[in-house]
Amino acid sequence: MEVTINKKDSVTTALLTGRLDTPASQEISGDFDNLAQEAAGTIILDCSKLDYISSSGLRLFLSLRKAAAAKGGKVIVKAINNDIRSVFMMTGFLNLFEIQE
Amino acid sequence: MKINHFKALMLVLVAALTLEATSLTQYFFSQNVIKEEASLRAEEQLEVARNRILDVTNQTEAAVRNSMWIAQWCLNVPDSLVRVCERIVQDNPVVVGSTIALVPGYLKDKPLLAPYVYRKEDGSMQRLSLATEQYDYPSQEWFTRPIELGEGYWSEPYVDEGGGEILMITYSIPIRDENGRVAAVLTSDIALDWLTELTSSFKVYPQAAGIILSRSGRIMVSPSPDVIMRSIYDFNTVLKDNEGFDALNQAMMGGESGNMEVKYQGVTCHVFYTPMEHTGWAMAIVIPDSDIYGALRKVGLIVKLLQLLGLAMLAFMLFSFIRNQFKYNELELTRERIENELHIARAIQMSMVPKVFPPYPNRDDLDVYGQLTPAKEVGGDLFDFYIRDEKLFFCIGDVSGKGIPASLYMVVTKALFRTVSAHEAAPNRILTRLNDVLSNENESNMFVTMFVGVLDLPTGRMHYSNAGHDAPLLIGNTGAGMLPVDPNLPVGVMPDWKFSRQETQIDPDTTIFLYTDGLNEAENTNHGQFEMHRVMELARKLQTEHRFEATFIVKQMTDAVHRFVGDAEQSDDLTMLAIQYTRHHEDLTYQRSLTLTNDLKRIPRLNTFVEEACESNGLDMATTAQVNLALEEAVVNVMNYAYPKNKTGNITIEAKANKSELSFVINDTGTPFDPTAKPEVDITLSAEDRSIGGLGIHLIRQIMDHINYERVDGHNILTLIKNLA
Repeated sequence: MEVTINKKDSVTTALLTGRLDTPASQEISGDFDNLAQEAAGTIILDCSKLDYISSSGLRLFLSLRKAAAAKGGKVIVKAINNDIRSVFMMTGFLNLFEIQE
Repeated sequence: MKINHFKALMLVLVAALTLEATSLTQYFFSQNVIKEEASLRAEEQLEVARNRILDVTNQTEAAVRNSMWIAQWCLNVPDSLVRVCERIVQDNPVVVGSTIALVPGYLKDKPLLAPYVYRKEDGSMQRLSLATEQYDYPSQEWFTRPIELGEGYWSEPYVDEGGGEILMITYSIPIRDENGRVAAVLTSDIALDWLTELTSSFKVYPQAAGIILSRSGRIMVSPSPDVIMRSIYDFNTVLKDNEGFDALNQAMMGGESGNMEVKYQGVTCHVFYTPMEHTGWAMAIVIPDSDIYGALRKVGLIVKLLQLLGLAMLAFMLFSFIRNQFKYNELELTRERIENELHIARAIQMSMVPKVFPPYPNRDDLDVYGQLTPAKEVGGDLFDFYIRDEKLFFCIGDVSGKGIPASLYMVVTKALFRTVSAHEAAPNRILTRLNDVLSNENESNMFVTMFVGVLDLPTGRMHYSNAGHDAPLLIGNTGAGMLPVDPNLPVGVMPDWKFSRQETQIDPDTTIFLYTDGLNEAENTNHGQFEMHRVMELARKLQTEHRFEATFIVKQMTDAVHRFVGDAEQSDDLTMLAIQYTRHHEDLTYQRSLTLTNDLKRIPRLNTFVEEACESNGLDMATTAQVNLALEEAVVNVMNYAYPKNKTGNITIEAKANKSELSFVINDTGTPFDPTAKPEVDITLSAEDRSIGGLGIHLIRQIMDHINYERVDGHNILTLIKNLA
């Protein structure tokens, strides 16, 4: 599991690559802490290379979303695959995030 | 009939009108009768008086006529004329005085001669000569008129100035000599004082009075002395408030007889009048209106008062009737309202117990049938059942007492059972929670006997706890008997009571039969009870006939108890619940197993295991991905919570499949942990309000078709089942 973060002006893009299962969530929790520092601006979670997400991953997403809500920024989830889309649907996350193709 | 105020008012009005019309009619006819009566009596009186007067005037006339010839004869002896007069007065008591007045110049030697004799008060005769210069008798009416007329003449009444100033009239007749020449006038005076006496006999009515008018309209007799001798023609101008006298005068002076109504000094009077022959008088009886109709008016007043009293009583009775009716109506309405509310309460209560049977038409492992019949409109019995995570949660209960208080307690108990069992799978803990709530502030000292069972459908394992309720029966292939139950207190009796949990294995085709004491204590008309031995008898009979269907058993029990009770009124709420367990395990087509240590790094091994199981049983890639997620969530949960940190433990995952389902059984020996008891997350909340946890179990429930947790012999056993299409 890899996280590549790019910052341009107030927009921070994080490219997630691989499977975001429970062990992976523990690995990258530091990266999400860093991302939360940028929560006043716009954060784009690029999921075009993300294969899988478990509830631990969802928790990271939700924590980031809460931080953005507190700081007045926003989180955009970009290019999720169908499996992840159905998980988003089951958990109501489709309504919590701005989803981009 | 319902009477309102308007109708009552109309009724009183109609009664009043009827009474008024009746009394008016009666009054009118009575008035006529009374008037006729008055008329008759007045006419009678008038007739009597008339006859008396005629008597007197006839006598007088006769006295005068009878002396005519002797007066004629005496003309030649003028000095004897006085004796003729004397004879007349002497012989006729009615005559008070008499004269023979010679026509002036008839005697050469005596130009005027008029000897007069009158009776003094002592009865002696007194002679007097009227031939005085002051009197000038030849110009007097009594002298001139008979000569003019050539016949007898009654004078107008006059006051005798010579005597005691009494009212008098005079009858005069001309006397002719042998040559037919009028020589003198013979008179007789009569006093009128007796007329007053006569008319005083008119007192047929207290205020009645007689009136006699002279030919010229002078009042000769009247109750008021000051009008005597006055002319009736100036009467109207003398007194005020007089009405009708013109017509009366005209009629009386015209010689008519009849009656008339006049107003005299503002008083209505009825005047009955008649003329008199000879004298040309008119006589009348005057009767005040109040004399004639006084009694009638008085009676009328009394009748009116009585009517008013009667009407007042009628009105009072009607209105008090209406008031009572209102009260009655209010009571009736209240009763109807309470009945309606009871009907609604019954409907609500009935809607709270399951009533769709069979409840699980798509399941082949279970059938349930239950029925609740309250003795009253509402009752205190309850039963409930539902399936959560492949477990059948069921209960039956009986609240102490009957009717509304029991029903309220029943509703609370039933609602609590659902709420508590939603997150609690242990029957003893369900009862403990119920007991905590119900025994707290239980001022009405009510309680409920209750049996709670949790039947694990995949395994047939049943946990149960009994709070003072009748032990259920088990009817199955191996026999019919009572389920052994621990003696716990009913719910609501004592706070902090520790309810014991029991456990048993339910074999396939066995039926659990639960009931309330409305069954074994059902009474017939002789107050005999149905009793447990009859219940058991029927249960054994059903067992030997291998009839274990839930519906059939309940119906049979119902029929038996109805036959026993007969026509007796149902004495208690009657509730029965039958649960038939019919699980048959199908042959397994797939079976693999994996054991992991509680290390998150082992998760990829789990993924491989799950993907293989899914693919082997024909699941598509998307479903496989989801099942993989569900298993990861479940196993990670166990890894995180089952064992203390840094303590190694094993987790075994068994994948099994038959034709219809793929199941994963996750088995660990860690601390008891029931993920199915966790509250559901609310996915509709906003990001701020969403909690971070609870997503894993939510995803498992979303992805899998059934989820089931059992704690068996120190093992947590979590079963996740996915149906195969």
